[in-house]
Amino acid sequence: MPLPDRGGPLAGVRVLELTKVWAGPYTGKYLAHLGAEVIKVESRTNLDEMRAYGGVDLDAAPYFLSINQEILSVQVNMKTPEGLDLVKQMVARSDVVIDNIRGGAMERSGLDYASLCKIKPDIIQLSIKMWGNEGPLAYQTGYAPCFAALSGLNYLVGHEGEVPRGMNIRYGDSTAGAYAALAIVAALNHRETTGEGQFIDLSAVEAMTSLIGDSLLSWSVTGEVPQADGNAHAEMCPHGAFPCADGTWISIAAENDAQWVALASALKLETPEAHATLAGRQADRHAIEAAIASKTVAWDASALGEHLRALGIPAFRSMSSLDLCSDDWLWQRGGYRMVSDHRNGTRPIIGPSWRMEPDEAKIERGAPLLGEHNDYVYGELLGLPPGDIADLKLRKVID
Amino acid sequence: MSALKGTLIVELAERPCGEYCGKLLADFGAEVIKVERPGGSPTRKMGPFKDGIAGPERSTLFAFFNTNKKSVVLDTANPADCARLAALLARADALIDDHAKPFMAHEEVARRFPRLVHCLITPFGQGAPEDWQIAGPLGVINAGGWAWHTPSETPPDKPPLKGAGRFLPDYEAGIDAALCVASSLYRQKRTGSGQFVDIAEVEVQINRVDCVLGRMLAGEQEPSHARTAYDMGGPAAAFACKDGFLYIFMTTKGHWKGLRELMGDPAWMAEFPEDWLEFSCTPVRVDLFRQHFAGWAGTQEKHVVSELGQKLGVTIVPVNSAADLPGNIQMQHRGFFQKLTHPVLGEALYPTASYRMSKTPVTLTSPAPALGEHDGEIA
Repeated sequence: MPLPDRGGPLAGVRVLELTKVWAGPYTGKYLAHLGAEVIKVESRTNLDEMRAYGGVDLDAAPYFLSINQEILSVQVNMKTPEGLDLVKQMVARSDVVIDNIRGGAMERSGLDYASLCKIKPDIIQLSIKMWGNEGPLAYQTGYAPCFAALSGLNYLVGHEGEVPRGMNIRYGDSTAGAYAALAIVAALNHRETTGEGQFIDLSAVEAMTSLIGDSLLSWSVTGEVPQADGNAHAEMCPHGAFPCADGTWISIAAENDAQWVALASALKLETPEAHATLAGRQADRHAIEAAIASKTVAWDASALGEHLRALGIPAFRSMSSLDLCSDDWLWQRGGYRMVSDHRNGTRPIIGPSWRMEPDEAKIERGAPLLGEHNDYVYGELLGLPPGDIADLKLRKVID
Repeated sequence: MSALKGTLIVELAERPCGEYCGKLLADFGAEVIKVERPGGSPTRKMGPFKDGIAGPERSTLFAFFNTNKKSVVLDTANPADCARLAALLARADALIDDHAKPFMAHEEVARRFPRLVHCLITPFGQGAPEDWQIAGPLGVINAGGWAWHTPSETPPDKPPLKGAGRFLPDYEAGIDAALCVASSLYRQKRTGSGQFVDIAEVEVQINRVDCVLGRMLAGEQEPSHARTAYDMGGPAAAFACKDGFLYIFMTTKGHWKGLRELMGDPAWMAEFPEDWLEFSCTPVRVDLFRQHFAGWAGTQEKHVVSELGQKLGVTIVPVNSAADLPGNIQMQHRGFFQKLTHPVLGEALYPTASYRMSKTPVTLTSPAPALGEHDGEIA
């Protein structure tokens, strides 16, 4: 049965993913959410851990369901020569191959770029590894917080005067995955113009380093090594988060002197002459922050945000997970949306950060059951007769 | 050869998010013409500056976000300049903007330039209340939840943090915007028509935490006001060492075994069950571990101990500073930093891209343009 036409800018592009956990699957998700047909190669002998975390049912694993919407699943046991051959037949019908599996694994399976080119000369292949695919440190492995530590990013994150504890431990994988999707689409444009595919070797550490590019260039020019600085900002004061009633927090930035005057007036702060300029406020920053905190603590964060924004001051409630889940705007705009779910009928997911007009890709189907698209891939794409597919299942080549 | 060679992009953006979107595409080889107001983009007025002296060609921030671009000055309050801009858009493939009140409404862009890809980045997306759209990066990272949960294990009396540097959410939004523009350009090549792309910076923030927040939306984990709601538990953390900081991540028996070897198996380690990380990782044990480990870490050098650890299967890494990176042998091997000479800033090291592309490598061919440097190139 042909798959529904979902539209979107990447309609007609087929992606094969040999990915696990988060960064690689996030790349696949982004391409699928832009309209590509993304097929995840899976096997009971070598499962994506995300199908196991947080439950016993491989088809209802919370982490997996939260990422893999509009992904197709095909089962292949790549430890068998026959299975590998089937994967190569899939490659022959794909535009892009993504992997973020163990270093050397693609090469050992004969799925390195040189081999894939023989199967599909204009293939685009992308590999995500902590340090990239090869080089003196390519042997090292780690998890997202390690990328963030190595990259220089975490060094810049911490409360003033403390060990730079870095971004939240979950930060890193998804951003690396988004950069990977970008590189793939750039390569698709190149292929469309020239007919030429290519190999893309992504370093997750460098992905994190990219996020502090301006700080690094500043260091190179000025010689000053940037440090973790809490919420301090060289060009705005006050700039930070302040406590409100019931344990909530609000972020407030005074982008210029006029906003400072408006803020001081709204919160009934004292305004000594010295505080009229940025330099004067920076010199007295901690006292100003303490004075603001002494006033904000009586306010509800949302109400104060509304009050200050009406005066032109950028002030926003710092959102907890409960605040985010119950945010009307995100539900209303499609920041959250519903997809199909095999067990519960529907499931809420986090939608893409973009809207497109016209021809936005439809996002309707939740994450696939293991092997849900075996018949589509083996029957329609590879053209195997039903009897052969049944036989492959019997012999656990499809497992 | 570069991936987007032959593509003409007009950039009306004046914030780091839109400028980063333009930079990512310019670094793929697109011709990006940055249209600046008389006096220049506001980012030219942001520091740090060369020698601490402000000036339109002295901002390191502008220099980073605008490599490989051209600059023309147009005054959109002047009808003649508006006509020149329209003529430019008529021959362009894409337009990048990041103003809550754009130069031209997207319906009008679509009517007058149906082939154009039009990307508009705003804090909360199209249709959001006007007063929300004044959010800067601090507002966006707080409204998107990462600030609340950063760093991991932040106690309730410490403020949520803005993340690394001043513009972390701008980078994130720039990536998604560039991805959408590149995708839409691909569609344009195939169909000849354009699209309007509406990017919400806050939605980029929440998308980045899909498999954590998504489980809460679905009711599989209870959402809460806890600052630790995104955390994983376990002993992973940064520690001060002799020459800076190091970070250790441990979740398995194998990690623990390797660490015992690395640390010379002191007596206190024998008190921990071999598989405690997997089956009995209690807060009490985590605290005890950290106390002992902190003492030892203080005597270690970050690069030395990390290399020894990696060879024993321990995921221990240095918390690198800016100054550690250019000397990193892997980054050198990959050519991640590139020297580029700017007429005012001089020669400096620029980070390039995390993706090494075999046929269309990202190369910085020109430094950020001087204000109006390419005025002569447009009619």
